[in-house]
Amino acid sequence: MGTAMVITSGKGGVGKTTSTANIGTALALLGKRVCLIDADIGLRNLDVVMGLENRIIYDIVDVATGQCRLEQALIRDKRFDGLALLPASQTKDKSALDAERVRTIVAELKQAFDFVVIDCPAGIEHGFQVATAGADEAIVVTTPETAAVRDADRVIGLLEKSGLRSPKLVINRIRPKMVRAGDMLDIDEIVQVLSIDLLGVVPDDETVIAHNIKGEPTVLRNDAKASQAYRNIARRILGDAVPLMVLEEEPGVFARMRRLFGGRR
Amino acid sequence: MTVRTADQSQTDMRPPVSIKGTKGGLLFLLDEKAPHKDIVEHLQRLLCGDLASLFNGPEVAVYVDYGARDCSREEIREILHLFLEKDNFRVREFGQDTTARKMMFHNHREPGRPHSIYRGTVRAGQQLLFDGDVVVIGDVNPGGEIAATGDIYVLGRLRGLAHAGCQGDEQAIIAAAEFAPMQLRIANWVSRAPETDGRPLRTTMEFAYLREDGMAVDKLMYVQSVRPEWAFHPAE
Ligand SMILES: Nc1ncnc2c1ncn2[C@@H]1O[C@H](COP(=O)(O)OP(=O)(O)OP(=O)(O)O)[C@@H](O)[C@H]1O
Ligand SMILES: [Mg+2]
Repeated sequence: MGTAMVITSGKGGVGKTTSTANIGTALALLGKRVCLIDADIGLRNLDVVMGLENRIIYDIVDVATGQCRLEQALIRDKRFDGLALLPASQTKDKSALDAERVRTIVAELKQAFDFVVIDCPAGIEHGFQVATAGADEAIVVTTPETAAVRDADRVIGLLEKSGLRSPKLVINRIRPKMVRAGDMLDIDEIVQVLSIDLLGVVPDDETVIAHNIKGEPTVLRNDAKASQAYRNIARRILGDAVPLMVLEEEPGVFARMRRLFGGRR
Repeated sequence: MTVRTADQSQTDMRPPVSIKGTKGGLLFLLDEKAPHKDIVEHLQRLLCGDLASLFNGPEVAVYVDYGARDCSREEIREILHLFLEKDNFRVREFGQDTTARKMMFHNHREPGRPHSIYRGTVRAGQQLLFDGDVVVIGDVNPGGEIAATGDIYVLGRLRGLAHAGCQGDEQAIIAAAEFAPMQLRIANWVSRAPETDGRPLRTTMEFAYLREDGMAVDKLMYVQSVRPEWAFHPAE
């Protein structure tokens, strides 16, 4: 029986879809059977980031409303046997998806996959409730900005209330130079406010945008800085104690992040 | 310090006079229902009799409150006289409903009122309301709100909004281990976080309370200035 993880944030555009694609692919790289679910109905972009857009025939709403069987809607990744995607629909009525139906779909997928990774829509309304419904665990993504951290805090409160007790944190788009100049919140500060375990820190990396457009998750590349960060996150999910990566050759930052991560294990 | 000089014959009975030590001096509270004779006898023993040496020493301000008892002028004079005879006593107040008594009792608001302990972080978007006093073991994050009809104590970082005395209790206070609130409210008063050199306040071990001229923030070690009874009755 697999584990279902929802990737959520509250604020839009902080990197949920990017994180879903990369964490999912990284887990597949490590030999796990992974199914990604795009629960962002109406916007649908996980398939684009995964480069699987042109293969969609059925989607999650079709499954929920009984238009097709679950297996028919699953798209197998062209690169990994163990990786699949259940796409969102672009046009159909969002309200066709309710928490109960999603819970059933997720439960069924957990029989066949080690990990079910759910890409949650922004916000805290219906779509959020639906996307988190079947999850066993939650990963909260934030960027080092006050508004994003505030929304993450809000979401953590809601997750805890709905029984997702200890969500994990991913801080995305860190720029060490800006942090040092005081123009960005630093990792310490963010973790202190949110007071949840830090799963990883992903640097701001232009190649991520290029890879997203090409439909090729960054973690497949060896040369990108963000790639290593996502691989480390996947290993931590599997239980390895990987120290936080050095974003830049600065001993102070390294020492501080090690302490942070080490201290919370 | 409450000096109880119970009548030995009636050990379970409250003495007709109870004495409270306050920061400003000694407050004598005369039992409203005790007969005049008992009060006088008790005071005589206390001030002139075998216990008198207890009150000898440096000058001390004395407040006497005889409450709502029925007594004649002569009776009142007799009592006042006992106090005036004591060399080191400086009688500052003598009457019913003295300010000293009020100070003593409005801080002991509803002695049995509820306290709550909240364990956890008060996160953005959460609004918690408590009846009575509340102790938060955790942080109140920006965007989070905590309200109580009594006092609020945060054993963590107060960065959100706190509303003490939310049903109008102006004596309520807000204290925090790390004090960096977004906004503070006590009763119907609202205050943005005080700013120092344009930067938001962020200090440790402070508390906010109401004064005549508005809200003030002070070091927690001075909390006795608004809760004088805490200085003398730590166990109560
Ligand atoms: N680490 C990164 N470095 C650089 N760009 C990034 C990084 N992470 C995400 N981005 C870019 O930020 C944008 C938003 O990312 P993404 O779509 O993953 O966010 P989202 O949280 O899913 O957004 P939405 O709330 O709209 O669903 C994209 O253009 C993406 O390429
Ligand atoms: Mg998205």
